Amino acid sequence: MASLNPALSTLPLAAPRRRAWRRRIFDACGWGLCGLAFLCLGAATVWILATVVLHGLGALNWKMITQGTVGTGGGLMNAIEGTLILALGGIALALPPGLAAGIYLAEFDTGWLAPVIRFFSDVLVGVPSIVIGYFGYVTLVEDLGWGFSAAAGGIALAIIALPYITRGSEMAIRQVPREMRDAAYALGASDSRVVMSITVPLALPGVLTGVLLALAIAVGETAPLLYTAGWSNFLWNGHLIQEPVGYLTYAIWAFITEPFASAHALAYAAALLVTGFVLVISIFARLALDENTGWRRRMRG
Amino acid sequence: MNPTSLPPALHFTPPAAANRVEPGRPVIGVRGLDFFYGPAQVLFGIELQVREREILALIGPSGCGKSTFLRCLNRMNDTIPGAHARGLVEIDGHNIYAPHTNVIGLRRKVGMIFQRSNPFPFSIAENVAYGLKINGLAKNRSERMARIESSLRAAGLWDEVKDRLNKPALSLSGGQQQRLCIARALAIEPEILLMDEPASALDPITTTRIEELALELKTRYTIVIVTHNLQQAARISDRTSFFLMGRVVETDSTQRMFTNPSRKETEDYITGRFG
Ligand SMILES: Nc1ncnc2c1ncn2[C@@H]1O[C@H](COP(=O)(O)OP(=O)(O)OP(=O)(O)O)[C@@H](O)[C@H]1O
Ligand SMILES: [Mg+2]
Repeated sequence: MASLNPALSTLPLAAPRRRAWRRRIFDACGWGLCGLAFLCLGAATVWILATVVLHGLGALNWKMITQGTVGTGGGLMNAIEGTLILALGGIALALPPGLAAGIYLAEFDTGWLAPVIRFFSDVLVGVPSIVIGYFGYVTLVEDLGWGFSAAAGGIALAIIALPYITRGSEMAIRQVPREMRDAAYALGASDSRVVMSITVPLALPGVLTGVLLALAIAVGETAPLLYTAGWSNFLWNGHLIQEPVGYLTYAIWAFITEPFASAHALAYAAALLVTGFVLVISIFARLALDENTGWRRRMRG
Repeated sequence: MNPTSLPPALHFTPPAAANRVEPGRPVIGVRGLDFFYGPAQVLFGIELQVREREILALIGPSGCGKSTFLRCLNRMNDTIPGAHARGLVEIDGHNIYAPHTNVIGLRRKVGMIFQRSNPFPFSIAENVAYGLKINGLAKNRSERMARIESSLRAAGLWDEVKDRLNKPALSLSGGQQQRLCIARALAIEPEILLMDEPASALDPITTTRIEELALELKTRYTIVIVTHNLQQAARISDRTSFFLMGRVVETDSTQRMFTNPSRKETEDYITGRFG
């Protein structure tokens, strides 16, 4: 159904005249479907954002971000802090192995290990996040006896983030032009030198995009944290284990179904904050990858 | 690194310390070189010598193996999976395909300029300094700056860029970028320069500039240059080698090659009857 594609139908192909009316109908259908798709997508997005923003703005105030939770009221400072700690900690844990795996996949594709890593990475993306939460609960919280804790939550998020960072790094490294590596090899650079001084630095904007995507996902996760980080009304005391941590998605999950206005306010504000974080992260990801801003432009002059 | 503990093939003397003998001494000797991309053989029994401080031009129709041959001389083909060479390539008397050859040392000694200029997206100075850095060739900042300057001067680029060494290399024009790549190659003081159609992507005036540069560099370096431009080969090279379908048809002084070739195929090619 090539003619459903509006771009194709504008090609100046010399079609027989009596086919022209058919093509016009297909054209109209094509545009109609596109329009419908756009409407659905646009309406859903606007509706979601409007709900989150309208409720959220009503609930968000200074007290909300400067106080901890008290019962089903108070503020979300504990949850904001916890979300940042868990997400950033998880990313920090996932970055070294993820980047290393990405380098390996992109640069040393010939061995038997590469398809194996790629397979595990794909499987990991497909594992439901609640299963990762359950895994974290059984192994870290229970067997290792860490209890609900920042360490258990961070590791759960790191497992979620790992395949995104791996694949993002691999893609970014593959996009570094061959000419750049050739130039370095021709100057007497060893394999590892080429990787460290040319490939990875040139791939950094792309790697960063993968990292930011993973960060956005980590910020928005709920299920893996319910079983690993627990919940706390208080600011984190710095203990990695035996100390539960609060986070924003928990506030949405737990407080929206409570029958109190103060609890609803917590959920609304948390939803707005989580969405806001994710949007800001996405915008940064765009900027990092954009040809006309950020690092690429600095390098191009 | 203690040179005496290394096999002979590893034993590259730095150019400054090398005994410069009279021009004309063969520095590259190729005997019976076959080359394969996986199962496909693309070079057949190449026999060729390159003499010190000459410009040898490689000409021949597209796909005949000129680039492949050039890349055999600094083992850049090693980076292509499945590629392998058979035969003898001697540089300064050492077989560079012998086991345990120091490929990094080889590439330091045999620099390469690519068809499409490929400066790193770093600053101009960082580009020239790259080879110095990875090979540990400059002890301190002033030494590094001195070598950056002398390389840029040798590439005829210094006056154009001396006030903007920290600007991105990619802000230079195409011809300047190619000369920057030449400066980058010169910075590590190679003995031999391999150039694969270094001017084919450039306009005529810039091309002339690169040709003049090649002639200047000849006083210090041995140059092997691939070109599709027969006038270019005639203008700058001392000797020319004609490649056809993975074989060397003949190698002769450029003058004789273009006025009185000894083989029919060569004559057909340079008179434009094919290729
Ligand atoms: N990486 C590669 N893998 C497989 N085959 C290759 C590869 N590079 C080149 N070839 C093949 O080897 C042969 C010689 O190619 P080469 O690039 O050396 O020719 P050339 O003389 O430099 O041509 P041109 O004048 O077009 O640059 C060609 O048939 C080409 O298709
Ligand atoms: Mg070529």
